[in-house]
Amino acid sequence: MAEIVPIIHPTAHAERPVEPLLKVSGLSVAYGRIRAIDGVDLTVEPGRIVSLVGSNGAGKTTTLMALSGLLPLAAGKIVFAGEDITGLAPELRVGRGIAHVPERRRVFAGMSVRENLVLGAYSRGDAMEIAGDIERLTSLFPILGKRMNQAAGTLSGGEQQMLAIARGLMSRPQLLIMDEPTMGLAPQMIDLILDTVLEIRKLGTTVLLVEQNAIEAIRLSDHVYVMRLGRVVHEDSGAGIDPERVKAFYMGVDA
Amino acid sequence: MDYFGQLLANGLVLGAIYALTAVAFTLVYGVVRLVNFAFGELFMLGAFLTTSLMLPEVRLFGTVVPMPGFPLPIAALGAIVITGVIGVVVDRIAYRPLRNAPRLAPLITSIAVSVVLQSLAQTIWGAEELRFPQFYLATLEPVVLFDSIYLSVMDLVVMATAVVAMLGLSLFIARSSLGRAMRASAEDQTAAMLVGIPVNRVVAAAFAIGSGFAALAGLLYAQTYGFAHSSMGFLPGLKALTAAVLGGIGSVPGAALGGLILGLVEALGAGYLPNGTAWKDAISFVLLVGLLYMRPQGLLGRPELNSAGRGSLLGGASAAGAGWLQAIFARGDALLARGAAAGTPAAFGLLAVAVIVGLMVPSDYWLRILTMVVIYGMLASGLNVIVGFAGLLDLGFVAFWAVGSYLTSILFVLVLKDGYGVAPQEVWWLLYLNLPLAGLLAAGFAVLLGTPTLKLRGDYLAIMTLGFGEIVRVVAINWMDLTNGPMGIRGIPAPNLFGIALGSPRAQFFFALALAVVVVFAVARLVRSYVGRAWVAIREDEEAAEAMGVPTARYKLYAYATSGFVGGFVGVFYAHSQQYISPLNFSLFENILLLMLVVLGGLGTFLGPFVGALIWIVFLQLALDLPFVQAYPETRFALLGVVLIVLMVFRPQGLAASARVGLTMPGARAKEAA
Repeated sequence: MAEIVPIIHPTAHAERPVEPLLKVSGLSVAYGRIRAIDGVDLTVEPGRIVSLVGSNGAGKTTTLMALSGLLPLAAGKIVFAGEDITGLAPELRVGRGIAHVPERRRVFAGMSVRENLVLGAYSRGDAMEIAGDIERLTSLFPILGKRMNQAAGTLSGGEQQMLAIARGLMSRPQLLIMDEPTMGLAPQMIDLILDTVLEIRKLGTTVLLVEQNAIEAIRLSDHVYVMRLGRVVHEDSGAGIDPERVKAFYMGVDA
Repeated sequence: MDYFGQLLANGLVLGAIYALTAVAFTLVYGVVRLVNFAFGELFMLGAFLTTSLMLPEVRLFGTVVPMPGFPLPIAALGAIVITGVIGVVVDRIAYRPLRNAPRLAPLITSIAVSVVLQSLAQTIWGAEELRFPQFYLATLEPVVLFDSIYLSVMDLVVMATAVVAMLGLSLFIARSSLGRAMRASAEDQTAAMLVGIPVNRVVAAAFAIGSGFAALAGLLYAQTYGFAHSSMGFLPGLKALTAAVLGGIGSVPGAALGGLILGLVEALGAGYLPNGTAWKDAISFVLLVGLLYMRPQGLLGRPELNSAGRGSLLGGASAAGAGWLQAIFARGDALLARGAAAGTPAAFGLLAVAVIVGLMVPSDYWLRILTMVVIYGMLASGLNVIVGFAGLLDLGFVAFWAVGSYLTSILFVLVLKDGYGVAPQEVWWLLYLNLPLAGLLAAGFAVLLGTPTLKLRGDYLAIMTLGFGEIVRVVAINWMDLTNGPMGIRGIPAPNLFGIALGSPRAQFFFALALAVVVVFAVARLVRSYVGRAWVAIREDEEAAEAMGVPTARYKLYAYATSGFVGGFVGVFYAHSQQYISPLNFSLFENILLLMLVVLGGLGTFLGPFVGALIWIVFLQLALDLPFVQAYPETRFALLGVVLIVLMVFRPQGLAASARVGLTMPGARAKEAA
């Protein structure tokens, strides 16, 4: 079943046409009679950072939850690494290579940092390599190394965010989905987290990011989708997009 | 010292059995926040399966079937595995579809599952006890400690098994990958799914392990006391739940501690308190009530575990079910919504029909049955106040009913007639005084019990009320001077008005109908007042209600007291209509039945309880004509249980949800987002 999956992951500016890692077409999710997102098309190429921006209620989080299988689809198709994963259960998508770092972090508060990380590798069969991965991640997030046996709930907000990201990376994903990773964090911490996003791409992982801070998100990203009222209303490369136009979409003006 | 030592040993054996069952409750509660009342029945199945596998032959469905006659360890293993599988199946059918449903729904299905399993066990193994066969370890000489304390070898086996099983489980949860996944699912199911944990399978594993523990406890119990019986799981199940709450539900060491304490307290209480053996069943519940006053999270529990309770307790539709089923419900909804809009005229219409039926029905037999329908409808209405309008599960409602019945019976028969020789017809007016008086007394009990529990969220009220119901029943059985004990009270006079006896079935029917009008009118007025709006707000979303400034604890207390009042009020008439009451009339099963009637007819509707009572009691009578039912009368209850599970899975909001009193104005309903 496996199609031609490009093994050469990184880095950006691929000249020749690349097979997309994630291709979403006509994605629709309904809460009761209300369509929260309606016909969203997205393409994420490997090795890129792709952002979804838009004001509150635009459907960004709903899109991400649909991608990781937490919400049932009303319509649409999700193709990941050449395979149709539309109806797949959420826990199986992790095994296919999609890790979702959810909004508000959701670390397992009563369990230790180490246990959180071990759980992140739940879908993997290679118990032997888990210790090595934990070691590698602590070089990315040194603070976690010092807190290994502490309960995750006792960490600060920024540390919990790092743990949530590290937990996501423990599954060795091809695609890391991050929902509002800087929400409620102090300014220095925000910079640190956003730097990490770039680090993660360097390691060869594709990132799909939802970020409240649109300007920062645009600066980081290779490609940006702007959402409004459940639809994608604009898209462009990170460098090509006009922040003023994005602002206009936020304000609800159809520029 | 010898006596004390022996009691201590007995207490340890009992405590080990309670602890094992408590582990089942606590494990499943920890992972899915569900009090699975059916564990008592899985306990019973463990006992029956072990006994059956050990015997050379067993009567099943009345026919003798050859059995393998395994030794105890192999039979036990087989029983544990089979019960574990049954637990998984029960979860799959009755609980998993309701994982995101309102909290009340899976609680109700778990009670329905209990009823189904118990009735089925009675059908399969019969109503008699099945004797536990001899096992060679049991024939060994008992171990004698300090020259005076006798412990049979099997007692030691029971204790050792419990210790090993619980240590093993603790280790499993702490160290194994599945154990870690269980803890993660317990903390946050969504996050667990996102790291790739198959949450449904993890929950199924928790059910399998829990059911296995319940089965283990059940077979050890059967071994210790020498028998298996279809109702044997009820009381130990209740005690184990108490033990789990005592230790802090969700905590395995807590369950072990709670079980141990309960076993010891019960054994010592039975040995030292005056007439202790009779009262021992009440001791654990008194302990529970006392504990909930002082330390609601239990001895080793974490408070946050028990504060879950977000979201509507009843609302929300189920996505399950085929299109045609949904279409039928949709049509029914439209009809009911119109009926609810008609409201008062519809109620008067039904009353008129009832009056005509009361006048026309020629047979006294059917008039008596219809009177029972009205009585059960009224009682169910009282329960509906707390369950249907305020969204809290009450399993001790029957106690209020008992309080009313006993108050009037004691006054009329034991005090006035037997004590002072006053003929009942001379004091006919006392009945009319007793109606509100019993209501107030019952409401007083409700306030007493509700004050500590209703400040808490979650399922505490259900557990506390369960304890209260049992205490009242035990008091009714054992306080001979007050209640005449198990013999009950005879010769309660029929209702009387200005010296005219209303003893005929027709007069009684109309008397009941008049009371029903009072009950329905009073409940309707209350629900439509600001008090009722507060109830509905609490039912729909307790946190939101609190945030909007509704003092939720106080309004929950009002609901509980109102429900108690109705119970006491109707209880008075019940006693005079039956003319004989005994503790048997007020068992937990009656409470479960009332709950089922409310669910059947429609939670949170005014007439639903009467509709439920009508359907059920008439069915109960008509079904008696079927030969199969004559042979196995208990299957009717199994059927009711199945109907309720189906109802809850496909329609958790109840049959008549669209006729339910909501917060929204009729016009706003159209705009409501589903």
